[in-house]
Amino acid sequence: MEPESPAFPVPKIEVKNFSAFYGKTQALHNVDFTIYERKITAMIGPSGCGKSTFLRSLNRMNDFFLDFRVEGSATLDGEEIYGPAVNPVLIRQRVGMVFQKPNPFQKSIFENVAYGLRIQGVKSRSVLSDIVEKSLKAAALWDEVKDRLNGSAFSLSGGQQQRLCIARALAVEPEVILLDEPASALDPISTARIEELMQDLKDRYTIAIVTHNMQQAARVSDRTAFFLDGTLVEVNDTTKIFTNPEDPRTEDYITGRFG
Amino acid sequence: MAENVLPEKGLSLYRKVRNALLGALTAVAFVLAVTPLLAIIYVAYDRGKAALSLSFLTTLPGGFPVGIEGGIANGIVGSLILIVIASLLSVPVGVWAGLYLWDQSHTPLAKATRLLSDLLLGVPSVIWGVVGFYVFSTNTGYGFHWGFSGLAAGLTLGFIMIPIVTRVTEQALRDVPRSYIEGALALGASRFQVVRGLAIPAAITGIGTGILLGVLNVLGQTAPLIFTNYYNTGIPKNLVGSNGSVGDLAMQIFIYIHEPSKGLHVKAMAAALVLTLIVLLLDMGIRLLAWGSRKYAQRMG
Ligand SMILES: Nc1ncnc2c1ncn2[C@@H]1O[C@H](COP(=O)(O)OP(=O)(O)OP(=O)(O)O)[C@@H](O)[C@H]1O
Ligand SMILES: [Mg+2]
Repeated sequence: MEPESPAFPVPKIEVKNFSAFYGKTQALHNVDFTIYERKITAMIGPSGCGKSTFLRSLNRMNDFFLDFRVEGSATLDGEEIYGPAVNPVLIRQRVGMVFQKPNPFQKSIFENVAYGLRIQGVKSRSVLSDIVEKSLKAAALWDEVKDRLNGSAFSLSGGQQQRLCIARALAVEPEVILLDEPASALDPISTARIEELMQDLKDRYTIAIVTHNMQQAARVSDRTAFFLDGTLVEVNDTTKIFTNPEDPRTEDYITGRFG
Repeated sequence: MAENVLPEKGLSLYRKVRNALLGALTAVAFVLAVTPLLAIIYVAYDRGKAALSLSFLTTLPGGFPVGIEGGIANGIVGSLILIVIASLLSVPVGVWAGLYLWDQSHTPLAKATRLLSDLLLGVPSVIWGVVGFYVFSTNTGYGFHWGFSGLAAGLTLGFIMIPIVTRVTEQALRDVPRSYIEGALALGASRFQVVRGLAIPAAITGIGTGILLGVLNVLGQTAPLIFTNYYNTGIPKNLVGSNGSVGDLAMQIFIYIHEPSKGLHVKAMAAALVLTLIVLLLDMGIRLLAWGSRKYAQRMG
């Protein structure tokens, strides 16, 4: 095999002929899609086109909808995410997720970040403290909260809460981070901070982000995928998608002609 | 709600009249709703005040007819015993069933359980009493031959409590936001970890309220006791067998009121006031607890 180089991105998640159903409704139709390691991949498309369904399929968050099922193949480092012997809990440890609305736990700031480690059985206070500090720093929140780690997470602003949720996800050292419209409930300044943060994180993590905001997709991502009615219309380098899309439907969407 | 926000002066005459009428109706409804409570407290106090004293709470009934002297210590202790037995049965079973209904909400077994507990909620308490009698008490019955006893009554009351605790627990868990649960699952928490570490703590005041509702129900029951325990003027040493009956506040009121004795009627109403105040205090207690833990959770977590 060729030595890895930035010019040849390494596939992290590969999805082939992937379909998803909620009961009888088909939400995704035969999607073929690769997410590359240490790249930011953005997903855009009109409401209801299946972006969240796709994202949540990648860490098996949709398992909790009883009538949800998938067809086709989705692999993480070559291993089937929906393989019969796969423990979804382990997938979720490797593929973390941040949601649209900040959802901190009813716990202190410290305990929010420590939660993922605690459930893995980490008890040592010093280990926990180290990782909590590291994660809060990585989420660019440390300076704002270092003096009140034992305060309630609910006392933080919405933007801070969202960075706390990112810190919480980072603390379990995932390989992939899925972000489902992470900034849509935030003000422009908080949004800018989250976007900066993503640039910092991209050196170490594979990131996939759903966004309704096309400027945001253009600003932060390396690759962009356009979904429409449950199908993947086009995926390509972000600059290509926004300057010279191949599919006329993509062009219509990014120029605001529908959506 | 929104209507009050609008500037009053722009309203048409029709809307003004309608608002006034609605306001008057609300006031009438409010008065009708609180009158019974005030009436209960007033009547019980007025009719029972002659018997009220601290020793009324701490002494056993005496004299002739029994109860004309002394107080209601037997009833207070007995009701407490019944609450403890009923809770020991119904809290673990009901909370477990509620958890199950919440977690496996769509399985056939869960649907059947839900239907069953709704049916049980509607079974009249006198029927619970008669069945409790055949199963727990009578020597010619099906099961335990415990006689009229605290254990027979406590378990019967416990079975009445189970569906209450079950349904309230399920509802309290449903009120925990989905996003909260998903946040933990996305961190690789197992179902069990989510339930134990997040869902139950978040739902705990709701679950507590459900248990309290069950306890209040137990406090107010007489029909099941008539068949499984009847009554005791003293404090029993056993909870089964021929001397196993316990006192009970509601039964005490019921029995005293049936006696042709003015003195006992006064005692009954004094006991009624005590029982009402206990219920109100318990209710306020749990509200305070819920409020306090919400405050605490907001501050700390
Ligand atoms: N739990 C569910 N049960 C049934 N259908 C669902 C469920 N979740 C989503 N769907 C359906 O699947 C389709 C795709 O939904 P999805 O949430 O993935 O869209 P989306 O692109 O994320 O939309 P949005 O931009 O509004 O978040 C929609 O038609 C939606 O109604
Ligand atoms: Mg969505």
